[in-house]
Amino acid sequence: MINSSSNLLIKFSDVSIGYGRKVVLKNLNLSIEKNDFIGIVGPNGAGKTTFLKTLLGNIKPLSGKVEKNDLVFGYVPQRDIVQPLLPYTVHDIVMMGRYSFLGLFKTPGISDEKIVNECLEIVGIGNLKSMSYNSLSGGQRQRVLIARALATKPDVLILDEPTNGLDTPSHYSVLNLISQLHDESHLTILIVSHLLTDVANLVKKIFLVEPGSFQFGLIEDILSEENLSKIYSSNFSIKKIDGEYLINSKHDI
Amino acid sequence: METINLLLELFPYAILGSIAAGIICSFLGVFVVSQRVVFLGAALTQAAIAGVAFAFLHLLNLEELLAHAFGIKSIDDSFLHHFEHTFFSLLFAVIAVFIFSQSYRQKYLTKDSLLGIIFVVAIAMRIIFIQKSPIAEVAEIESILKGDILFIGSEEFFTLLIILIVILLVFSLFYKQLKFVTFDADTAAAHGINDRLWLLVFYLTVGVGISLTTRFVGDVFTFAFLILPASISILVAKRVIHVFIYSTIIGAIIPPLAILIAFKLDVSSGPTAVLVVFILFLLVFIYNRIKK
Repeated sequence: MINSSSNLLIKFSDVSIGYGRKVVLKNLNLSIEKNDFIGIVGPNGAGKTTFLKTLLGNIKPLSGKVEKNDLVFGYVPQRDIVQPLLPYTVHDIVMMGRYSFLGLFKTPGISDEKIVNECLEIVGIGNLKSMSYNSLSGGQRQRVLIARALATKPDVLILDEPTNGLDTPSHYSVLNLISQLHDESHLTILIVSHLLTDVANLVKKIFLVEPGSFQFGLIEDILSEENLSKIYSSNFSIKKIDGEYLINSKHDI
Repeated sequence: METINLLLELFPYAILGSIAAGIICSFLGVFVVSQRVVFLGAALTQAAIAGVAFAFLHLLNLEELLAHAFGIKSIDDSFLHHFEHTFFSLLFAVIAVFIFSQSYRQKYLTKDSLLGIIFVVAIAMRIIFIQKSPIAEVAEIESILKGDILFIGSEEFFTLLIILIVILLVFSLFYKQLKFVTFDADTAAAHGINDRLWLLVFYLTVGVGISLTTRFVGDVFTFAFLILPASISILVAKRVIHVFIYSTIIGAIIPPLAILIAFKLDVSSGPTAVLVVFILFLLVFIYNRIKK
């Protein structure tokens, strides 16, 4: 049990994670604190999703201890997996964020409506409330899913590849929104992304997953050309221009 | 009007039963189609038929078991006959649902593959059960397995009515949970909703509905009314609630209309219902294309 007065939210102690007998990551020792802004990166299949599922409590750790108090997680899935055939409105979808608080039979009330409206305003789509989700652009859909996660009034906001498949303006607009949520609402945020430049310019700490092991720490301690080249089995260049990171795989240059 | 009066006089329960079966399938169909598990309908109808075929083997003496359980000497033959078929149809469908619900544990076995396996194995079982049945007439058993709207009597109608009420009750009481897990199970789980439990409740309810309607009105009617009314409604509705309303209205109106047409043309009512709802689908689809 974590002392509720401390800044500590989640603590992994000697944790091994995986499925059945297959260990994906072992000896996980890390702490997530209030107001942390963490990027989770690594090659495909390294264990990012397994880590997220363990963190959310959807799968149990194979060994070790994950300590967390009664935290509320707001989860933003990859946009591609949310493709409804039914004509759900923006309001319908954001209201789903309130469902876990309503118990078995209760229906949403005035306070839930208020929270939904607030969340829509926070992400800047209050005017789209009655629109069909299917009629929205990629960037607008991403904001709907973020609003739904915010409607849980989360202690920790988790975003899985939030900018995947977005056009350039939407891409940066969503990144700005995430940054704003951290800076203004002081939300603890974990973001999974394969775009190293985005993550490096957005977050403070990084959880770099490599097959079988991991590194966790401040951006400047983890991000090095040598480190990335070793993990991704490809040469990387890291440049800092006007205080902004620019990370490229060498064959991209 | 004369034909309608005659039909109402001759087949009152068949007409009412067809409406109940139509509503059950078209209501469940909205979830099945929107979940993109249409093949679940095909697999469950075949599992239900395999269950009825199994009942023809008479391997378990349910009469004795029931008489013993309820402390009575003998049970009415007709009741038992229906009970055995319905019981095994339900049992096979529920087993199929449990197998299907394990798909979330599998990395290399997709939902489609699992449904395909259930589908072919159920057909193979049906063939073998019929071949090994002590009743000689295979064609007779096949016709019973396929069900027929016009054979719906009072017992079948009231069974369908109870199932309809139970399904509506389950989906009304647990609308939030079922809506969330069928829309986005991963996020529902992340937000603390037991997605596995609610998906199981969803699939079980669908399994019960499909197995009983298959038993009474046949697999072709059941499968068609799972897909077509929901698909038509999704094409025209602007709100989720409208999808449900349109779909259940189509499910309620087409079957009795089909009985009337079938009676006039002297053809089977089940396939007629399927063709009528397909024509409606075609008209709506063409109208939609022209409108766009």
